[in-house]
Amino acid sequence: MSQMATRQWMVTHEWMVKPMHQREWIERRGIMIWIAETFTSLGAGLYLVSLFINSWWGLLVGWLIIMFLKLPLHIAYFGKPWRFYRTMPPFSNAWKTSWFARGILFSVFFGTFGFVQLVFGQPDLANLVGNSVANPIYYTFGVLAGLSAVGVGIYGGFIMNYVKGIPFWNQGLLPVVFILAGVADGFGLAMGVGLAGGDASIAWAEAGSRYLLLINILLIVTYLISARYTSAVAKLSIQELLTGPSAFMFWGGLITLGLVIPAAISLATLVSGGEASTVLLIIAIVAHTLGAFALKYCILKVGIYRPLLPKVAAY
Amino acid sequence: MRWGMVINLIKCTRCHACIAACRIEHFLPMGVNWPRLIAWETDVPGEELTTIPVRCNQCKDAPCVEVCPAEATKKREDGIVYVDNDICVGCRYCIIACPYQNRTFFSRDKDPGYFPGYERTRFEKAGRKIYPHTAGTTEKCDFCMDRIDAGLAKGLVPGKDREATPACVNVCQARALTFGDLDDPESEVSKLIKEKNAFQLHPEYGTDPSVYYIDGKIGNAPSNIAPREEQTASHLQHLSTMEERAKQIFGKK
Repeated sequence: MSQMATRQWMVTHEWMVKPMHQREWIERRGIMIWIAETFTSLGAGLYLVSLFINSWWGLLVGWLIIMFLKLPLHIAYFGKPWRFYRTMPPFSNAWKTSWFARGILFSVFFGTFGFVQLVFGQPDLANLVGNSVANPIYYTFGVLAGLSAVGVGIYGGFIMNYVKGIPFWNQGLLPVVFILAGVADGFGLAMGVGLAGGDASIAWAEAGSRYLLLINILLIVTYLISARYTSAVAKLSIQELLTGPSAFMFWGGLITLGLVIPAAISLATLVSGGEASTVLLIIAIVAHTLGAFALKYCILKVGIYRPLLPKVAAY
Repeated sequence: MRWGMVINLIKCTRCHACIAACRIEHFLPMGVNWPRLIAWETDVPGEELTTIPVRCNQCKDAPCVEVCPAEATKKREDGIVYVDNDICVGCRYCIIACPYQNRTFFSRDKDPGYFPGYERTRFEKAGRKIYPHTAGTTEKCDFCMDRIDAGLAKGLVPGKDREATPACVNVCQARALTFGDLDDPESEVSKLIKEKNAFQLHPEYGTDPSVYYIDGKIGNAPSNIAPREEQTASHLQHLSTMEERAKQIFGKK
């Protein structure tokens, strides 16, 4: 190890009088949190949308995203992954105070209820046991899985919104942004399910996507404006998003790919009165999905702490 | 009873002794600092750079306790907040939630050894047996609760008797650190807080930290020059306190 590299371990001070970025959840292994959070939005959103448009294939894909992409990534991020069971009752009652623990419970409930719903919604099995038996179970567990999916989609927002030291996150609107962005992404993926030959109605998904995109644009603008006036550090976060190091991800990823391109394609389809071509739909779906990654990246990346010392408490 | 600390920034000479003492007391790996110095770069051109000592504030309403999904971060009745490293899952939510950023995630890459590239020293090897830091979990200052508990068991008074007092307080040559019971109005910490107008960091968060600061500009404190007789090599005295503990662990062999 070089002398320089050795010396870095000798540093006993930090420059925390200035606003500092959170790094644990976006740098190095923290990238897993970013990707897992995005899959949370995509999976929960697609599940909710599929419930709405009654698409079994959409439910299946949403469930798979949560169970096989989001959860493993979250657990792999843990310093002690094999202790993950300690976050759940009866080993821990932290769900009473911790949104993280609640999120894990929501995920477990979602996995269980969703599985039962998927099993009884499968046409062959429904025919085997009879629709009179399968349908009540399917719909009952659909309601339970749907409620759990809302929990899964929204808890990340509450986790971050709780952090008092990071004013950009400490906003009441954040959970709303998370869940509505997830539903919008869900509509995007539902179009993909329909395009791939599944039972999702592309027209329905496109119509839903149109409204959600509009709502999300307004929501993000509102969020930025309200955060702008909460503190100087939140303003700094917004500056980083708009003109700073995260501007490329914000303007290129979130605004252009995530909002403008899908909205333009949707608007063009609406004006022309017909259905969008397959190529345009694929572009919209890919843009939607990349936009979902960009949104979570932007939020995590510009998480800046207030300075520690009172001299600069004006931040 | 609620243990607390007062840090007198006027008396503090920024000598790093508290940081060194903590490293020795807890055999901290090189990449981990429980107490730290925050570098203060003033806006005035040419003005001297200074530092401020910080450590876990042992908050009364600690966000880290509330957010821990595994209940690995716990708060004792005496106000000390500590991490049970046998339970911690390493999710790092406590690190994010701590508004004072006084927690560290201990990963293997933060443990290169005191002499990277060489075999661990005997001191390090011994330290791993006394304080086996668990890689993949979160660490923070615990006000030397082992010393406090052992001292109380012997009938000693934390803050007055060295053996029952946190290591950083013991070694502070300028007597800038004071430890004691915040709930006792007659304790030295309570008197200092009242008389010197001590303040907490970011009280607006509502966390009610147990670490208070005295600053000349705010508290109008008198001269900070410690009496000459108190400026002893107290860190050496502290080292001697480890002897009995080491005997307990290694004495059987």
